Amino acid sequence: MTVTKTLVTFIMLILGILMVVPFLWMISTSFKTPAEVFEYPIRWIPSTLQWDHHIKVWTGDKSFGTYYLNSLKISIISTIGATFLSAFAAYGFSRIEFKGRNAMFLVYISMMMVPPQVLFVPKFIMFEWAGIYNTHWALILPGMFTIFGVFMLRQFFLSVPHEISEAAFIDGAGHLRIFFNLVLPLAKPALATLAIIDFSWHWNDYENALVFLIDEKLYTVPLGLQNFILENNVDYNGMMAAATAGIIPMIIVFLIGQRFIIQGISSAAVKG
Amino acid sequence: MGNNWMRRQRMLGYLFIGPNMIGVILFFVIPAVYSFFLMFTDYKFMSPDVHMVGLDNVKRLFHDEIFYKAIQNTLVFLLAVPASIFLSFLVALVLNQSVYIKSTLRALFFMPYITSGVAIAFVWMLLFQPKEGPINAFLRMIGIEHPPGWLSTTDTSMYAIDIIWVWFMLGYNMIIYLAALQEISTDLLEAAKMDGARGWRVIRHIVWPLVSPTTFLLLITGLIMTIKTFGIIQAITQGGPGNSTTILSLFVYQNAFRYYEMGYAATISWALFFIILLITVVQWIGQKRWVHY
Repeated sequence: MTVTKTLVTFIMLILGILMVVPFLWMISTSFKTPAEVFEYPIRWIPSTLQWDHHIKVWTGDKSFGTYYLNSLKISIISTIGATFLSAFAAYGFSRIEFKGRNAMFLVYISMMMVPPQVLFVPKFIMFEWAGIYNTHWALILPGMFTIFGVFMLRQFFLSVPHEISEAAFIDGAGHLRIFFNLVLPLAKPALATLAIIDFSWHWNDYENALVFLIDEKLYTVPLGLQNFILENNVDYNGMMAAATAGIIPMIIVFLIGQRFIIQGISSAAVKG
Repeated sequence: MGNNWMRRQRMLGYLFIGPNMIGVILFFVIPAVYSFFLMFTDYKFMSPDVHMVGLDNVKRLFHDEIFYKAIQNTLVFLLAVPASIFLSFLVALVLNQSVYIKSTLRALFFMPYITSGVAIAFVWMLLFQPKEGPINAFLRMIGIEHPPGWLSTTDTSMYAIDIIWVWFMLGYNMIIYLAALQEISTDLLEAAKMDGARGWRVIRHIVWPLVSPTTFLLLITGLIMTIKTFGIIQAITQGGPGNSTTILSLFVYQNAFRYYEMGYAATISWALFFIILLITVVQWIGQKRWVHY
Protein backbone atom coordinates (compact mmCIF):
# COMPACT_ATOMS: atom_id res chain seq x y z
CA MET A 1 0.00 0.00 0.00
CA THR A 2 2.68 2.51 0.95
CA VAL A 3 4.68 1.43 -2.07
CA THR A 4 1.78 2.21 -4.42
CA LYS A 5 1.09 5.41 -2.55
CA THR A 6 4.70 6.53 -2.93
CA LEU A 7 4.79 5.52 -6.58
CA VAL A 8 1.54 7.34 -7.40
CA THR A 9 2.72 10.42 -5.51
CA PHE A 10 5.97 10.33 -7.45
CA ILE A 11 4.22 10.09 -10.83
CA MET A 12 1.80 12.88 -9.95
CA LEU A 13 4.68 15.02 -8.72
CA ILE A 14 6.41 14.64 -12.09
CA LEU A 15 3.20 15.61 -13.90
CA GLY A 16 2.67 18.52 -11.50
CA ILE A 17 6.18 19.79 -12.09
CA LEU A 18 5.58 19.49 -15.84
CA MET A 19 2.62 21.84 -15.34
CA VAL A 20 4.84 24.53 -13.83
CA VAL A 21 7.83 23.95 -16.13
CA PRO A 22 6.91 26.97 -18.28
CA PHE A 23 7.24 29.17 -15.17
CA LEU A 24 10.51 27.57 -14.14
CA TRP A 25 11.85 28.03 -17.66
CA MET A 26 10.68 31.64 -17.64
CA ILE A 27 12.41 32.48 -14.36
CA SER A 28 15.57 30.62 -15.31
CA THR A 29 15.72 32.29 -18.74
CA SER A 30 15.37 35.73 -17.18
CA PHE A 31 18.74 35.16 -15.49
CA LYS A 32 20.58 33.71 -18.50
CA THR A 33 22.83 35.24 -21.11
CA PRO A 34 21.32 35.50 -24.63
CA ALA A 35 23.49 32.61 -25.78
CA GLU A 36 22.08 30.31 -23.12
CA VAL A 37 18.37 30.89 -23.89
CA PHE A 38 17.91 28.06 -26.36
CA GLU A 39 20.74 25.84 -25.24
CA TYR A 40 19.64 22.22 -25.31
CA PRO A 41 19.55 20.19 -23.07
CA ILE A 42 17.97 23.08 -21.19
CA ARG A 43 20.32 24.89 -18.86
CA TRP A 44 18.12 25.28 -15.79
CA ILE A 45 20.72 26.99 -13.64
CA PRO A 46 22.44 29.79 -15.56
CA SER A 47 26.25 29.80 -15.42
CA THR A 48 26.20 33.26 -13.83
CA LEU A 49 23.06 35.07 -12.70
CA GLN A 50 22.35 37.97 -15.05
CA TRP A 51 20.51 40.63 -13.06
CA ASP A 52 20.64 43.28 -15.79
CA HIS A 53 17.48 42.00 -17.52
CA HIS A 54 15.50 42.53 -14.33
CA ILE A 55 17.13 45.91 -13.81
CA LYS A 56 16.10 46.89 -17.34
CA VAL A 57 12.49 45.96 -16.56
CA TRP A 58 12.34 47.92 -13.33
CA THR A 59 14.27 51.04 -14.29
CA GLY A 60 14.32 53.33 -17.28
CA ASP A 61 11.46 55.41 -18.62
CA LYS A 62 9.16 52.40 -18.97
CA SER A 63 9.48 51.08 -15.49
CA PHE A 64 7.21 48.34 -14.24
CA GLY A 65 6.81 50.40 -11.07
CA THR A 66 4.27 52.65 -12.78
CA TYR A 67 2.37 49.68 -14.19
CA TYR A 68 2.32 48.06 -10.76
CA LEU A 69 0.92 51.18 -9.11
CA ASN A 70 -1.75 51.52 -11.80
CA SER A 71 -2.73 47.85 -11.52
CA LEU A 72 -2.78 47.99 -7.74
CA LYS A 73 -4.98 51.07 -7.71
CA ILE A 74 -7.46 49.63 -10.20
CA SER A 75 -7.51 46.15 -8.67
CA ILE A 76 -7.85 47.26 -5.06
CA ILE A 77 -10.60 49.83 -5.59
CA SER A 78 -12.55 47.54 -7.93
CA THR A 79 -12.24 44.56 -5.63
CA ILE A 80 -13.41 46.42 -2.52
CA GLY A 81 -16.33 47.90 -4.42
CA ALA A 82 -17.28 44.65 -6.11
CA THR A 83 -17.14 42.61 -2.91
CA PHE A 84 -19.30 45.02 -0.98
CA LEU A 85 -21.83 45.68 -3.74
CA SER A 86 -22.13 41.96 -4.49
CA ALA A 87 -22.74 41.17 -0.83
CA PHE A 88 -25.47 43.78 -0.65
CA ALA A 89 -27.24 42.51 -3.77
CA ALA A 90 -26.75 38.88 -2.83
CA TYR A 91 -28.48 39.52 0.48
CA GLY A 92 -31.42 41.06 -1.34
CA PHE A 93 -31.61 38.13 -3.73
CA SER A 94 -31.40 35.49 -1.05
CA ARG A 95 -32.94 36.71 2.20
CA ILE A 96 -35.66 39.22 1.38
CA GLU A 97 -38.79 38.03 -0.36
CA PHE A 98 -40.50 40.55 -2.59
CA LYS A 99 -42.34 40.76 -5.87
CA GLY A 100 -40.16 41.10 -8.95
CA ARG A 101 -37.11 39.55 -7.34
CA ASN A 102 -37.02 36.51 -9.59
CA ALA A 103 -37.50 38.60 -12.72
CA MET A 104 -34.54 40.74 -11.69
CA PHE A 105 -32.46 37.66 -11.07
CA LEU A 106 -33.33 36.43 -14.55
CA VAL A 107 -31.89 39.65 -16.00
CA TYR A 108 -28.67 38.91 -14.12
CA ILE A 109 -28.51 35.36 -15.46
CA SER A 110 -29.13 36.45 -19.03
CA MET A 111 -26.42 39.10 -18.78
CA MET A 112 -23.89 36.38 -18.00
CA MET A 113 -24.42 34.95 -21.47
CA VAL A 114 -23.70 38.22 -23.25
CA PRO A 115 -20.07 38.13 -24.37
CA PRO A 116 -17.94 41.13 -23.40
CA GLN A 117 -17.36 41.74 -27.10
CA VAL A 118 -21.00 42.78 -27.47
CA LEU A 119 -20.44 45.45 -24.83
CA PHE A 120 -17.05 46.78 -25.96
CA VAL A 121 -18.20 49.14 -28.71
CA PRO A 122 -21.15 50.69 -26.85
CA LYS A 123 -19.08 50.99 -23.68
CA PHE A 124 -16.36 52.67 -25.68
CA ILE A 125 -18.90 55.20 -27.02
CA MET A 126 -20.49 55.73 -23.60
CA PHE A 127 -17.14 56.21 -21.85
CA GLU A 128 -16.00 58.60 -24.54
CA TRP A 129 -19.18 60.60 -24.04
CA ALA A 130 -18.89 60.55 -20.24
CA GLY A 131 -15.24 61.57 -20.44
CA ILE A 132 -13.86 58.52 -18.68
CA TYR A 133 -12.41 56.79 -21.75
CA ASN A 134 -8.65 56.49 -21.35
CA THR A 135 -8.83 57.02 -17.59
CA HIS A 136 -8.62 54.42 -14.85
CA TRP A 137 -12.31 54.97 -14.14
CA ALA A 138 -13.12 53.15 -17.36
CA LEU A 139 -11.81 50.01 -15.66
CA ILE A 140 -12.68 50.74 -12.04
CA LEU A 141 -16.35 51.67 -12.40
CA PRO A 142 -17.49 48.63 -14.44
CA GLY A 143 -15.12 46.51 -12.38
CA MET A 144 -17.17 47.20 -9.26
CA PHE A 145 -20.06 45.20 -10.64
CA THR A 146 -19.60 41.48 -10.92
CA ILE A 147 -22.50 39.19 -11.66
CA PHE A 148 -20.43 36.17 -10.67
CA GLY A 149 -19.88 37.75 -7.25
CA VAL A 150 -23.62 38.16 -6.70
CA PHE A 151 -24.15 34.51 -7.65
CA MET A 152 -21.43 33.20 -5.43
CA LEU A 153 -22.46 35.15 -2.33
CA ARG A 154 -26.16 34.48 -2.93
CA GLN A 155 -25.29 30.80 -2.84
CA PHE A 156 -23.53 31.30 0.44
CA PHE A 157 -26.27 33.43 2.02
CA LEU A 158 -28.89 30.84 1.08
CA SER A 159 -27.00 28.36 3.23
CA VAL A 160 -27.11 30.57 6.35
CA PRO A 161 -29.97 29.22 8.51
CA HIS A 162 -33.11 31.34 8.62
CA GLU A 163 -33.47 30.82 12.35
CA ILE A 164 -30.63 33.26 12.87
CA SER A 165 -32.49 36.13 11.26
CA GLU A 166 -35.81 35.10 12.78
CA ALA A 167 -34.37 35.36 16.27
CA ALA A 168 -33.02 38.81 15.43
CA PHE A 169 -36.36 39.89 13.94
CA ILE A 170 -38.06 39.02 17.20
CA ASP A 171 -35.50 41.15 19.01
CA GLY A 172 -36.56 44.01 16.77
CA ALA A 173 -33.64 44.09 14.34
CA GLY A 174 -34.27 45.02 10.71
CA HIS A 175 -32.67 43.68 7.55
CA LEU A 176 -29.90 46.28 7.59
CA ARG A 177 -28.90 45.35 11.15
CA ILE A 178 -29.05 41.64 10.32
CA PHE A 179 -26.97 42.16 7.20
CA PHE A 180 -24.22 44.14 8.91
CA ASN A 181 -24.17 42.47 12.31
CA LEU A 182 -25.05 38.86 11.57
CA VAL A 183 -24.76 37.75 7.98
CA LEU A 184 -21.71 39.75 6.92
CA PRO A 185 -19.49 38.54 9.81
CA LEU A 186 -20.60 34.97 9.10
CA ALA A 187 -19.72 35.41 5.45
CA LYS A 188 -16.11 36.47 6.08
CA PRO A 189 -14.57 33.38 4.42
CA ALA A 190 -16.88 33.71 1.41
CA LEU A 191 -16.08 37.42 1.14
CA ALA A 192 -12.36 36.71 1.34
CA THR A 193 -12.69 34.12 -1.41
CA LEU A 194 -14.58 36.47 -3.68
CA ALA A 195 -12.12 39.27 -2.98
CA ILE A 196 -9.13 37.10 -3.90
CA ILE A 197 -10.71 35.72 -7.07
CA ASP A 198 -11.90 39.18 -8.06
CA PHE A 199 -8.49 40.70 -7.39
CA SER A 200 -6.84 38.13 -9.62
CA TRP A 201 -9.29 38.92 -12.43
CA HIS A 202 -8.58 42.62 -12.23
CA TRP A 203 -4.86 42.08 -11.97
CA ASN A 204 -4.84 39.79 -15.01
CA ASP A 205 -7.39 41.73 -17.02
CA TYR A 206 -5.80 42.47 -20.37
CA GLU A 207 -8.83 42.78 -22.66
CA ASN A 208 -10.54 45.73 -20.97
CA ALA A 209 -7.28 47.59 -20.51
CA LEU A 210 -6.49 46.99 -24.19
CA VAL A 211 -9.78 48.52 -25.26
CA PHE A 212 -10.13 51.40 -22.81
CA LEU A 213 -6.59 52.68 -22.15
CA ILE A 214 -4.30 54.33 -24.70
CA ASP A 215 -2.08 56.53 -22.59
CA GLU A 216 1.11 54.69 -21.70
CA LYS A 217 1.26 56.34 -18.29
CA LEU A 218 -2.05 54.67 -17.44
CA TYR A 219 -1.02 51.18 -18.52
CA THR A 220 -1.61 48.25 -16.20
CA VAL A 221 0.82 45.36 -15.79
CA PRO A 222 -0.55 43.20 -18.68
CA LEU A 223 -0.48 46.16 -21.09
CA GLY A 224 2.91 47.29 -19.84
CA LEU A 225 4.18 43.79 -20.35
CA GLN A 226 2.88 43.69 -23.90
CA ASN A 227 4.40 47.08 -24.55
CA PHE A 228 7.76 46.00 -23.19
CA ILE A 229 7.76 42.84 -25.25
CA LEU A 230 6.79 44.57 -28.49
CA GLU A 231 9.69 46.97 -28.03
CA ASN A 232 12.21 44.32 -27.01
CA ASN A 233 11.10 41.45 -29.20
CA VAL A 234 14.59 40.17 -29.83
CA ASP A 235 15.67 40.38 -26.23
CA TYR A 236 14.37 37.03 -25.00
CA ASN A 237 15.96 37.36 -21.58
CA GLY A 238 14.36 40.77 -21.10
CA MET A 239 11.02 39.38 -22.23
CA MET A 240 11.20 36.63 -19.64
CA ALA A 241 12.28 39.07 -16.93
CA ALA A 242 9.22 41.17 -17.78
CA ALA A 243 6.97 38.11 -17.79
CA THR A 244 8.35 37.16 -14.38
CA ALA A 245 7.53 40.63 -13.10
CA GLY A 246 4.00 40.24 -14.45
CA ILE A 247 3.37 36.87 -12.82
CA ILE A 248 5.11 37.05 -9.43
CA PRO A 249 2.39 39.05 -7.60
CA MET A 250 -0.27 36.51 -8.54
CA ILE A 251 1.93 33.65 -7.45
CA ILE A 252 2.38 35.33 -4.06
CA VAL A 253 -1.36 36.00 -3.73
CA PHE A 254 -2.00 32.38 -4.69
CA LEU A 255 0.44 30.96 -2.19
CA ILE A 256 -1.10 33.05 0.59
CA GLY A 257 -4.73 32.55 -0.34
CA GLN A 258 -4.56 29.09 -1.91
CA ARG A 259 -7.00 27.54 0.53
CA PHE A 260 -9.60 30.26 -0.01
CA ILE A 261 -9.27 30.24 -3.77
CA ILE A 262 -9.58 26.49 -4.13
CA GLN A 263 -12.42 26.17 -1.63
CA GLY A 264 -14.27 29.12 -3.08
CA ILE A 265 -14.06 27.94 -6.64
CA SER A 266 -15.16 24.42 -5.83
CA SER A 267 -18.03 25.45 -3.55
CA ALA A 268 -19.34 28.05 -6.01
CA ALA A 269 -19.30 25.51 -8.80
CA VAL A 270 -20.54 22.37 -7.12
CA LYS A 271 -23.25 23.82 -4.93
CA GLY A 272 -24.25 26.38 -7.54
CA MET B 1 -48.95 40.62 7.02
CA GLY B 2 -50.78 43.26 5.02
CA ASN B 3 -50.03 45.32 1.96
CA ASN B 4 -47.94 47.63 4.02
CA TRP B 5 -45.58 44.85 5.03
CA MET B 6 -45.23 43.69 1.44
CA ARG B 7 -44.47 47.18 0.24
CA ARG B 8 -41.86 47.55 2.96
CA GLN B 9 -40.27 44.28 1.93
CA ARG B 10 -40.12 45.43 -1.67
CA MET B 11 -38.53 48.75 -0.75
CA LEU B 12 -35.96 46.90 1.34
CA GLY B 13 -35.32 44.55 -1.57
CA TYR B 14 -34.67 47.48 -3.88
CA LEU B 15 -32.46 49.07 -1.27
CA PHE B 16 -30.22 46.01 -1.18
CA ILE B 17 -30.22 45.14 -4.86
CA GLY B 18 -30.42 48.72 -6.10
CA PRO B 19 -26.77 49.81 -5.92
CA ASN B 20 -25.60 46.74 -7.78
CA MET B 21 -28.54 46.85 -10.17
CA ILE B 22 -27.66 50.42 -11.22
CA GLY B 23 -24.22 49.23 -12.27
CA VAL B 24 -25.57 46.18 -14.05
CA ILE B 25 -28.00 48.38 -15.97
CA LEU B 26 -25.33 50.98 -16.77
CA PHE B 27 -22.54 48.61 -17.77
CA PHE B 28 -24.42 45.57 -19.06
CA VAL B 29 -28.05 46.21 -20.01
CA ILE B 30 -27.75 49.62 -21.70
CA PRO B 31 -24.60 48.70 -23.67
CA ALA B 32 -26.28 45.46 -24.77
CA VAL B 33 -29.32 47.33 -26.08
CA TYR B 34 -27.11 50.01 -27.61
CA SER B 35 -25.03 47.38 -29.34
CA PHE B 36 -28.14 45.84 -30.82
CA PHE B 37 -28.97 49.22 -32.31
CA LEU B 38 -25.43 49.70 -33.64
CA MET B 39 -25.78 46.48 -35.58
CA PHE B 40 -28.04 48.34 -38.03
CA THR B 41 -25.71 51.30 -38.50
CA ASP B 42 -22.48 52.03 -40.35
CA TYR B 43 -20.93 53.68 -37.31
CA LYS B 44 -17.20 54.13 -37.64
CA PHE B 45 -14.70 55.38 -35.11
CA MET B 46 -15.37 59.01 -34.18
CA SER B 47 -17.23 59.65 -37.39
CA PRO B 48 -20.06 62.16 -36.95
CA ASP B 49 -22.35 60.88 -39.68
CA VAL B 50 -23.97 57.62 -38.87
CA HIS B 51 -26.52 56.02 -41.14
CA MET B 52 -29.03 53.33 -40.61
CA VAL B 53 -28.08 50.62 -43.05
CA GLY B 54 -30.69 48.03 -42.21
CA LEU B 55 -29.41 44.54 -42.61
CA ASP B 56 -26.35 45.45 -44.68
CA ASN B 57 -23.99 44.40 -41.91
CA VAL B 58 -25.69 41.05 -41.61
CA LYS B 59 -25.47 40.50 -45.38
CA ARG B 60 -21.84 41.51 -45.35
CA LEU B 61 -21.19 39.07 -42.54
CA PHE B 62 -22.63 36.16 -44.48
CA HIS B 63 -20.35 36.99 -47.41
CA ASP B 64 -17.27 37.49 -45.29
CA GLU B 65 -14.81 34.64 -45.77
CA ILE B 66 -12.93 35.56 -42.61
CA PHE B 67 -16.15 35.13 -40.65
CA TYR B 68 -16.39 31.50 -41.75
CA LYS B 69 -12.71 31.00 -41.09
CA ALA B 70 -13.23 32.51 -37.63
CA ILE B 71 -16.08 30.10 -36.89
CA GLN B 72 -13.89 27.21 -37.94
CA ASN B 73 -11.02 28.45 -35.79
CA THR B 74 -13.38 28.95 -32.85
CA LEU B 75 -14.54 25.35 -33.15
CA VAL B 76 -10.94 24.13 -33.13
CA PHE B 77 -10.28 26.34 -30.11
CA LEU B 78 -13.29 24.84 -28.32
CA LEU B 79 -11.81 21.33 -28.71
CA ALA B 80 -9.53 22.28 -25.84
CA VAL B 81 -12.50 22.28 -23.46
CA PRO B 82 -13.50 18.58 -23.60
CA ALA B 83 -9.83 17.64 -23.84
CA SER B 84 -8.93 19.46 -20.64
CA ILE B 85 -12.08 18.19 -18.90
CA PHE B 86 -11.18 14.60 -19.68
CA LEU B 87 -7.56 14.98 -18.58
CA SER B 88 -8.54 16.81 -15.42
CA PHE B 89 -10.98 14.03 -14.55
CA LEU B 90 -8.14 11.53 -14.71
CA VAL B 91 -5.87 13.74 -12.60
CA ALA B 92 -8.65 14.32 -10.05
CA LEU B 93 -9.31 10.57 -9.82
CA VAL B 94 -5.70 9.90 -8.95
CA LEU B 95 -5.39 12.83 -6.56
CA ASN B 96 -8.55 11.70 -4.81
CA GLN B 97 -6.82 8.40 -4.00
CA SER B 98 -4.29 8.20 -1.26
CA VAL B 99 -1.23 10.23 -2.23
CA TYR B 100 1.24 12.16 -0.15
CA ILE B 101 1.56 15.97 -0.32
CA LYS B 102 -1.96 16.25 -1.72
CA SER B 103 -2.28 20.01 -1.34
CA THR B 104 1.11 20.67 -2.91
CA LEU B 105 0.14 18.57 -5.91
CA ARG B 106 -3.19 20.37 -6.17
CA ALA B 107 -1.44 23.73 -6.09
CA LEU B 108 1.02 22.67 -8.81
CA PHE B 109 -1.78 21.73 -11.19
CA PHE B 110 -3.78 24.84 -10.34
CA MET B 111 -0.94 27.34 -10.76
CA PRO B 112 -1.43 28.10 -14.49
CA TYR B 113 -5.02 29.17 -13.90
CA ILE B 114 -4.21 31.89 -11.40
CA THR B 115 -1.37 33.33 -13.46
CA SER B 116 -3.55 33.78 -16.50
CA GLY B 117 -2.42 36.67 -18.57
CA VAL B 118 -0.23 37.90 -21.30
CA ALA B 119 2.84 36.77 -19.42
CA ILE B 120 2.17 33.08 -20.02
CA ALA B 121 1.37 33.86 -23.66
CA PHE B 122 4.88 35.17 -24.17
CA VAL B 123 6.47 32.30 -22.32
CA TRP B 124 4.69 29.80 -24.57
CA MET B 125 5.63 31.81 -27.62
CA LEU B 126 9.28 31.14 -26.85
CA LEU B 127 8.72 27.54 -25.79
CA PHE B 128 7.02 26.89 -29.14
CA GLN B 129 9.72 28.65 -31.16
CA PRO B 130 10.01 26.35 -34.21
CA LYS B 131 13.76 26.47 -34.86
CA GLU B 132 15.38 26.68 -31.46
CA GLY B 133 12.54 26.41 -28.94
CA PRO B 134 12.91 23.83 -26.17
CA ILE B 135 9.78 21.90 -27.21
CA ASN B 136 11.07 21.24 -30.72
CA ALA B 137 14.57 20.65 -29.42
CA PHE B 138 13.10 17.90 -27.26
CA LEU B 139 11.10 16.46 -30.16
CA ARG B 140 14.22 16.34 -32.32
CA MET B 141 16.09 14.62 -29.54
CA ILE B 142 13.52 11.82 -29.38
CA GLY B 143 13.88 11.32 -33.14
CA ILE B 144 11.22 13.54 -34.72
CA GLU B 145 13.20 15.14 -37.53
CA HIS B 146 10.59 17.62 -38.68
CA PRO B 147 8.70 18.80 -35.61
CA PRO B 148 5.64 21.03 -36.15
CA GLY B 149 6.00 24.76 -36.72
CA TRP B 150 3.47 25.35 -33.91
CA LEU B 151 2.44 29.01 -33.81
CA SER B 152 4.34 29.87 -36.98
CA THR B 153 2.46 27.79 -39.54
CA THR B 154 -1.18 28.18 -40.52
CA ASP B 155 -2.17 24.54 -40.13
CA THR B 156 -0.72 24.06 -36.64
CA SER B 157 -1.17 27.46 -34.96
CA MET B 158 -4.69 26.85 -33.66
CA TYR B 159 -3.67 23.49 -32.19
CA ALA B 160 -0.69 25.07 -30.47
CA ILE B 161 -3.12 27.47 -28.81
CA ASP B 162 -5.30 24.48 -27.86
CA ILE B 163 -2.34 22.97 -26.02
CA ILE B 164 -1.81 26.19 -24.08
CA TRP B 165 -5.51 26.35 -23.30
CA VAL B 166 -5.72 22.74 -22.08
CA TRP B 167 -2.77 23.45 -19.81
CA PHE B 168 -4.43 26.63 -18.57
CA MET B 169 -7.87 25.09 -17.81
CA LEU B 170 -6.68 21.78 -16.38
CA GLY B 171 -6.23 22.91 -12.79
CA TYR B 172 -9.57 24.68 -12.58
CA ASN B 173 -11.48 21.64 -13.89
CA MET B 174 -9.50 19.36 -11.61
CA ILE B 175 -10.40 21.36 -8.48
CA ILE B 176 -14.08 21.13 -9.31
CA TYR B 177 -13.88 17.41 -10.07
CA LEU B 178 -12.09 16.85 -6.77
CA ALA B 179 -14.93 18.55 -4.91
CA ALA B 180 -17.47 16.41 -6.78
CA LEU B 181 -15.55 13.20 -6.12
CA GLN B 182 -15.50 13.94 -2.41
CA GLU B 183 -19.29 14.05 -2.38
CA ILE B 184 -19.62 10.51 -3.70
CA SER B 185 -20.64 8.28 -0.81
CA THR B 186 -18.17 5.58 0.03
CA ASP B 187 -21.06 3.13 0.59
CA LEU B 188 -21.80 3.10 -3.10
CA LEU B 189 -18.21 2.29 -3.94
CA GLU B 190 -18.09 -0.41 -1.25
CA ALA B 191 -21.23 -1.99 -2.66
CA ALA B 192 -19.73 -2.03 -6.13
CA LYS B 193 -16.63 -3.71 -4.76
CA MET B 194 -18.77 -6.37 -3.08
CA ASP B 195 -20.39 -7.06 -6.42
CA GLY B 196 -16.95 -7.70 -7.83
CA ALA B 197 -16.55 -4.48 -9.82
CA ARG B 198 -12.94 -3.34 -9.99
CA GLY B 199 -10.81 -0.52 -11.29
CA TRP B 200 -11.84 0.84 -14.63
CA ARG B 201 -15.34 -0.64 -14.48
CA VAL B 202 -16.12 1.21 -11.26
CA ILE B 203 -14.91 4.42 -12.83
CA ARG B 204 -16.76 3.86 -16.07
CA HIS B 205 -20.10 2.71 -14.63
CA ILE B 206 -20.29 4.36 -11.23
CA VAL B 207 -17.95 7.31 -10.77
CA TRP B 208 -18.29 8.84 -14.24
CA PRO B 209 -22.13 8.82 -14.21
CA LEU B 210 -22.16 10.17 -10.66
CA VAL B 211 -20.02 13.15 -11.59
CA SER B 212 -21.89 13.77 -14.84
CA PRO B 213 -23.64 16.91 -13.50
CA THR B 214 -20.17 18.31 -12.81
CA THR B 215 -18.97 17.34 -16.27
CA PHE B 216 -22.01 19.08 -17.69
CA LEU B 217 -21.35 22.21 -15.68
CA LEU B 218 -17.67 22.26 -16.67
CA LEU B 219 -18.54 21.74 -20.30
CA ILE B 220 -21.12 24.48 -20.44
CA THR B 221 -19.16 27.08 -18.45
CA GLY B 222 -15.89 26.08 -20.14
CA LEU B 223 -17.31 26.47 -23.63
CA ILE B 224 -18.85 29.84 -22.80
CA MET B 225 -15.71 31.13 -21.14
CA THR B 226 -13.47 29.89 -23.94
CA ILE B 227 -15.57 31.33 -26.73
CA LYS B 228 -15.36 34.78 -25.11
CA THR B 229 -11.59 34.74 -24.64
CA PHE B 230 -9.27 36.49 -27.03
CA GLY B 231 -6.58 38.16 -24.95
CA ILE B 232 -4.18 35.26 -25.02
CA ILE B 233 -4.45 34.96 -28.81
CA GLN B 234 -4.24 38.71 -29.33
CA ALA B 235 -1.06 38.72 -27.28
CA ILE B 236 0.66 35.81 -29.03
CA THR B 237 -0.40 35.85 -32.67
CA GLN B 238 -2.85 38.75 -33.22
CA GLY B 239 -4.87 36.25 -35.23
CA GLY B 240 -2.01 35.21 -37.50
CA PRO B 241 -0.29 33.74 -39.35
CA GLY B 242 -2.73 34.61 -42.10
CA ASN B 243 -6.05 34.40 -40.33
CA SER B 244 -5.27 31.01 -38.89
CA THR B 245 -5.92 31.99 -35.27
CA THR B 246 -8.58 34.64 -35.81
CA ILE B 247 -11.35 33.34 -33.61
CA LEU B 248 -14.75 35.08 -33.49
CA SER B 249 -14.12 37.07 -30.32
CA LEU B 250 -10.82 38.35 -31.70
CA PHE B 251 -12.51 39.12 -35.01
CA VAL B 252 -14.94 41.42 -33.19
CA TYR B 253 -12.10 43.19 -31.41
CA GLN B 254 -10.10 43.64 -34.62
CA ASN B 255 -13.03 45.08 -36.55
CA ALA B 256 -13.90 47.49 -33.78
CA PHE B 257 -10.51 48.66 -32.62
CA ARG B 258 -8.14 47.96 -35.48
CA TYR B 259 -10.35 48.75 -38.50
CA TYR B 260 -12.78 50.97 -36.54
CA GLU B 261 -15.76 49.29 -38.24
CA MET B 262 -17.86 49.52 -35.12
CA GLY B 263 -21.27 48.83 -36.61
CA TYR B 264 -19.93 45.73 -38.30
CA ALA B 265 -18.15 44.67 -35.12
CA ALA B 266 -21.44 44.96 -33.21
CA THR B 267 -23.02 42.64 -35.79
CA ILE B 268 -20.28 40.03 -35.39
CA SER B 269 -20.57 40.28 -31.63
CA TRP B 270 -24.25 39.39 -31.84
CA ALA B 271 -23.38 36.44 -34.06
CA LEU B 272 -21.05 35.41 -31.26
CA PHE B 273 -23.87 35.78 -28.75
CA PHE B 274 -26.15 33.57 -30.84
CA ILE B 275 -23.50 30.90 -31.08
CA ILE B 276 -23.16 30.95 -27.28
CA LEU B 277 -26.93 30.72 -26.97
CA LEU B 278 -27.01 27.84 -29.44
CA ILE B 279 -24.30 25.93 -27.56
CA THR B 280 -26.15 26.46 -24.28
CA VAL B 281 -29.51 25.34 -25.68
CA VAL B 282 -28.07 22.29 -27.45
CA GLN B 283 -26.32 21.30 -24.24
CA TRP B 284 -29.46 21.67 -22.16
CA ILE B 285 -31.36 19.45 -24.55
CA GLY B 286 -28.53 16.99 -24.90
CA GLN B 287 -27.85 16.67 -21.18
CA LYS B 288 -30.85 14.39 -20.58
CA ARG B 289 -29.05 11.65 -22.48
CA TRP B 290 -25.98 11.54 -20.33
CA VAL B 291 -26.34 13.60 -17.18
CA HIS B 292 -27.61 11.68 -14.16
CA TYR B 293 -28.94 13.71 -11.26
